[in-house]
Amino acid sequence: MDKRPALAPDPAMESFEPPRLPPDDRRWMTTPRPGGVLGAALLLALVALAAGQLREFLPENVSILLFLTAVLINAAAFGFWVGIASALGAIAAFNFLFVEPHFTLHISRPHDLVTVAVFLLAASLTGLLAGRLREQVEAAKTRAAALEMLSQASAELAAVTGPAEVTRIVLRHLNRLSEGPAVALAPQGNGLHLIAALPEGYAPEPRELDAADIAFRHGRAELAPAQGWNGQRLSFYPLQVEGSPGPVLGHARLAPDRRDRDLRERTIEVMLRQAEQALHRLSLAQAAEAERRRAAAEETRAALLASLSHDLRTPLATILGAVTTLRELGVTLPPDSQADLLAAIEEEAERLARYVEKLLQLTRLNAGIAAQMTWVDAGDAAQAAVARARRAWPDAQILAETGDLPMIRAEAGLLEQSVFNLVENAVKYAPGPIRVTGTVDGDELVLAVLDHGPGLPPAVANWLGQDGLTGAPAGAGLGLPICKGIARTLGGRLTASRDGAGAKLALRLPIPEAAA
Amino acid sequence: MRERQLILVVDDEPQIQRFLGHALVAAGYDICLAGSGTEALAQAMAQEPDLMILDLGLPDMNGKEVIERLRLRLDLPVIVLSAHDQEMEKIMALDLGADDFVPKPFGIGELLARMRACLRPRRTARTEVISQDGLLIDLTAHQVSRDGELLRLTPKEFDLLAALAGNAGRVMTHRKLLQLVWGPAHVDDVPYLRVFIGQLRQKLERDPARPELILTEPGVGYRWARSERGTA
Repeated sequence: MDKRPALAPDPAMESFEPPRLPPDDRRWMTTPRPGGVLGAALLLALVALAAGQLREFLPENVSILLFLTAVLINAAAFGFWVGIASALGAIAAFNFLFVEPHFTLHISRPHDLVTVAVFLLAASLTGLLAGRLREQVEAAKTRAAALEMLSQASAELAAVTGPAEVTRIVLRHLNRLSEGPAVALAPQGNGLHLIAALPEGYAPEPRELDAADIAFRHGRAELAPAQGWNGQRLSFYPLQVEGSPGPVLGHARLAPDRRDRDLRERTIEVMLRQAEQALHRLSLAQAAEAERRRAAAEETRAALLASLSHDLRTPLATILGAVTTLRELGVTLPPDSQADLLAAIEEEAERLARYVEKLLQLTRLNAGIAAQMTWVDAGDAAQAAVARARRAWPDAQILAETGDLPMIRAEAGLLEQSVFNLVENAVKYAPGPIRVTGTVDGDELVLAVLDHGPGLPPAVANWLGQDGLTGAPAGAGLGLPICKGIARTLGGRLTASRDGAGAKLALRLPIPEAAA
Repeated sequence: MRERQLILVVDDEPQIQRFLGHALVAAGYDICLAGSGTEALAQAMAQEPDLMILDLGLPDMNGKEVIERLRLRLDLPVIVLSAHDQEMEKIMALDLGADDFVPKPFGIGELLARMRACLRPRRTARTEVISQDGLLIDLTAHQVSRDGELLRLTPKEFDLLAALAGNAGRVMTHRKLLQLVWGPAHVDDVPYLRVFIGQLRQKLERDPARPELILTEPGVGYRWARSERGTA
């Protein structure tokens, strides 16, 4: 019996022993084994020899007790039939050695018949009781083994990460419990397909596939008929996952004449329920993950939309305000002011045109379509963002220090937009010159915007390190959430750190191996 | 008193500051500029402007906070510039004491009209009789007449009318009106206010279905239409 205190699924468990089978149906009247017969004969011979040698010193009634002891030991150790035989042998030996006439088997005295009866009774009772005790021990061990198997299976199933693992674990246990092949079939297209079998390579026959199909379509177990009857050799059980049909599991027919058959059946049933629960849990986890992804995409969209509406409104407000000023106050405006207003209108109209272009790009993101990754020179994208920022804030000092950078997989528009957002942030919140740098750090390309400002408030910096896009603390603005969203869309991340006297916001993007 | 009124423009967008600068100077105001909430408060203390134009989307603090801090020290009129997605912030700003709002984008005429409305009551304090479009409102005698014919108003209706007409051209939030007329315990009884506005319109408006005197600012409050003629 397995003595390991096992709960955690470790590789050693693969060698777990299934409940041991008793060799016979009737344990307490078990047929004698040659070893038992030999042992019993040996013990009896020893006792007879000892009694023969000590005949002079031992009275007859003590000798008979020695023989009785040997019979009891034989009956207890080797079972009913050996016990009976021992009793007869002991009587014969005793009679031969001690009873007048000596060295004959003739029973002359009536009370010797009583002795024979007592011997036989003691031997059979002892044999029966010992057999029954042994049988109970066996049954208890079998139950313990089944329980251990179940707890092992449930520990293993609790740790699974995919449906295939569930199938694998359950098949292994079914294979041991049924001591025959176990198979798993899953609905695919318009029928069931074999997804796993143990032993590997075992192929169910057509009649078995038919039985599995019936089990699947009717949603109930399809048991193998008893041995000797026509039909499949495997029993099939359809699993239900969240009310919809899951895989169908099958195992070899249990031998009907086994005493632990019921136990095995119940164990299999419990294990199948456990498998169902494991599959259910996996499907819930999957649904939760899908929901989380959907929510994250939603957040990105909301952040992008908010930023976009801000970016669109400012030029619109400027254009409308400037035009109405020219129209309504034109007479009183000095020529310089008129020219500046016209210039503002032109600039803002151009800005608007660019934003509309972005809007079209981002609409695609809003629709949840993945970025169109192409080979992009990150330096070019950064330069374009800097050029745009210089046009938007002519007074700001923006230096681009991007040397030769490896090509990365990205979407140029998104990359430019995120760098632009970072520069915009720096222009708004930090005094002094702003540097945009491009470097390679290990397998990451780092586009950084460095300023001489106070850096991000701790709450915002903290938020950058988190997973979600919403929950940005007040004052984070809209540019950063977008940057973070874009960084994630491009498979990278956005980090904030201190750099000397200023702040450093860095967009870190993976460099594909081919480009490194 | 200064010769030209000083307007503090608070907006973090340089382009907005740019055109507002030209427009306000041409309209006869002096201007000073601020790009953040902190700067705005400092400028307000130092320059004591006659009016503040406040954009709600400032980088360092929200408009509500600016107004709260401003109101601790100064009582200058504030006009809030708001975008569509700042509806709640706009209403809070108005409830906290902003005088009016102009939704972005806006024509300069609209902003100048709002500015005039906000600046005016401080020049002509305590109007006793309001005359507008054939309607005569005597605030001391609690009498309202149209074309010489006396109109019957309940005391609450009159209070409401006085609160609106006394702030002609300026938006009055639901909360402000409810507080003025019914008291602080009723500031959330907007449906109640709506009923009284309906009754007032029935009695005052030439066509109650198309009000010309009591204008609705959806979601925010009501505004008494100012006749530019009578106030110039």
